[in-house]
Amino acid sequence: MSDARLRRVQKEIRDCAKDKTSNISIDMIDESPFHLVGAFPGPPDTPYEGGYYEVDIVIPDAYPFQPVKMKFITKVYHPNVSSASGAICLDILKDAWSPVLTLKSTLISLQSLLCEPVPNDPQDAEVAKHYLADRNSFNATAKHWAQAYAQAPAHKKKNEPGKVATDAELAGLSEENVIGFTDMGFSREQVITILKKLNYRGNNVNPQSYNAVLEELLK
Amino acid sequence: MSSDGENDEFLYEDEYDDAFDQDDEAEEIDSMSEPDVYDALSPAIEEAPQKKPYDVSWKVKTLQEITDMQNKEITKIQSVLEVPASSAAILLRHYVWNSEKLQEQFWNDPAAALEEAGLSPPSSPTTRTSALPPSPNKRSTRSLRAGPSTFLSKRTKSSASIGPFECPICCMEFDGPSVDVNTYSMGCEHRFCKDCWREYLVGKVKGEGESAKIQCMESGCGRIVREEVIDELVEKDVSKRYHNLLNAAFVADSSTLRWCPHPNCEYIIQCTQAPARMLNQIVPTVECKCGHDLCFGCGYAASHRPVLCKIVRLWEKKCADDSETANWLQANTKECTKCQSTIEKNGGCNHMTCKKCKWEFCWVCMGPWSEHGTAWYQCNRFDEKSGIDARDTQAKSRASLERYLHYFNRWANHEHSAKLDAEFYQKTEKKMEQMQNSGNLSWIEVQFAKQAVDVVIKARITLKWSYCMAFYLKRNNMTELFEDNQRDLERAVENLGYSLEQNISDTESIAKLRQDITNQAAYVQKRHDILMDDTLKGYLERRWEFSVDV
Repeated sequence: MSDARLRRVQKEIRDCAKDKTSNISIDMIDESPFHLVGAFPGPPDTPYEGGYYEVDIVIPDAYPFQPVKMKFITKVYHPNVSSASGAICLDILKDAWSPVLTLKSTLISLQSLLCEPVPNDPQDAEVAKHYLADRNSFNATAKHWAQAYAQAPAHKKKNEPGKVATDAELAGLSEENVIGFTDMGFSREQVITILKKLNYRGNNVNPQSYNAVLEELLK
Repeated sequence: MSSDGENDEFLYEDEYDDAFDQDDEAEEIDSMSEPDVYDALSPAIEEAPQKKPYDVSWKVKTLQEITDMQNKEITKIQSVLEVPASSAAILLRHYVWNSEKLQEQFWNDPAAALEEAGLSPPSSPTTRTSALPPSPNKRSTRSLRAGPSTFLSKRTKSSASIGPFECPICCMEFDGPSVDVNTYSMGCEHRFCKDCWREYLVGKVKGEGESAKIQCMESGCGRIVREEVIDELVEKDVSKRYHNLLNAAFVADSSTLRWCPHPNCEYIIQCTQAPARMLNQIVPTVECKCGHDLCFGCGYAASHRPVLCKIVRLWEKKCADDSETANWLQANTKECTKCQSTIEKNGGCNHMTCKKCKWEFCWVCMGPWSEHGTAWYQCNRFDEKSGIDARDTQAKSRASLERYLHYFNRWANHEHSAKLDAEFYQKTEKKMEQMQNSGNLSWIEVQFAKQAVDVVIKARITLKWSYCMAFYLKRNNMTELFEDNQRDLERAVENLGYSLEQNISDTESIAKLRQDITNQAAYVQKRHDILMDDTLKGYLERRWEFSVDV
């Protein structure tokens, strides 16, 4: 069956190259057709809009009877994608896989995963918590990540042109909260590290965490 | 005096038996009133002799009998619902062999019941949201050859109109009559080539160990692949494995069946008197035809009487996992307050410097060393609350570790001794053969040693588990009585063990030794039965209080 696997993968790459409408690309990294890079644009009307996302694709020996192995190369701030490793939590990459699914259809599924996160089944629990606790702040961070890592152009609507995301925004924190603690005399770096560790989303979200932050800072 | 004692005992035993008889009757009625598929499938279970209220009845089944049980039920459903046998099987497996629920659902809404079980009629949209629909060109090719075929052999008319077909999985093209020969689709009309089907089915059966829930290859199509399709498409060995998996699933789905856990044993135990809810009252030890004991409640591959399944599980987990390592760490180490590295203090003063982060702190109060000011080598913050708390938790942890080790050592020791006893017996056996050959003793006369060793080993296993039980018992009067019984049995066992190790090569004294050992073995057996009876009856009377939920 190994020639069937090769035949199928080659056909998939060919078909994807022919198809100009879907904006999805699949390219070989080296000589092997079993280790590929897929890429697609961030879906419109999402914080990922304008970004360009690359996905590492490994075709297993038993493909297409076993699911392809995919992970994000581009860093993505998303509840179902590990912010550290790019690992993806998606049913069709695991037990809901079917041999009729293709690389292209799987990449389209990833694209729609960016549109509709599933925070109740998270890959990155911290990001999922952020998503559930404060959607606006989450969207801002996801957008900053898209600009910083996925070459999304900075939008003029919300930020001044050319403004680079601040360290607080990249960590998914609001400037206001960080300043609240730095004003007490703690160093900015320390405050951001600890707020990130404790997943601090402001005093109104979880009143106990305010004291926890102070305790950490005083250590 | 002695006659009084006998009378007392006699009366006691009489009451005992009566109580058992009543309980027996009550339980029989109870088990008969419980409706169960597995009950209906088999004739009444034979009563074991000398049944105690905490004993269960069971039957040992062969694989063939298990297959027959399933076939009988399938035939019944087949005629009641008027569906093909393979559909009846799929329906029954979906409803976990609960034929009443199946019939209720089926007559309520046949189409819904069929669809839920993976027998949906063609053209029902079952594609899930996360899975994308197949691309339009694929769908059109497929619809070209859509035929209402269900079985491989039954395909007839539809094949005539089949044009060129490309398998969406391996991209192989088929044309004309070869489409019919080399491709296959189920009732859901998702067509693929037979090579891909074969590859897929072999992967599912051999790789993933799936059986009853193998679905169509199309994404989101929940149609279950029928038995005869699998049998026809795959090789003999795969199909055999598939049927074994179906049987295994049948046994696993049933609360009244359990595989014998012993290696190479293919028997199945059937027992209707040990449902999960009863396991906080009974310890359903049963014996397989292979000669080994097992616990029907939890599948433990030996008798773990008198301890409840749940307690055994807790105990095994406690002994196996590293929770005790954690206890040790807690008793002997502290964490650096800055980098959280675990530190064992093995001497020296209280001025600790963390090797890792160079943080300096006081071992006693855990506060930073710098705050000790001039009070070097004498912690003046000793009585602060945090210090007291830290010492309390450490002392508690150390005590619990010691308590655990006390019970664990005795538990492990009895297991070890039982093994040694068995080894010792094998050595003795040779000696006895010699005695037999020298002509002074007959075969029957030297059997006493074997019987005694058997009693000792059985008693040691019970003693072993009694320590597990004692570890989880709360301290109260009942526990003290339990420990008295335990002590009596332990003493009797040790004495008998000692006697057994005496030199029995001397033919002169053998008669005396034999009498001695036989008496002692009888005593051990009696103490063993008392401990067992009392403990197991205690569950039914809810006499035992445990430190954990059961």
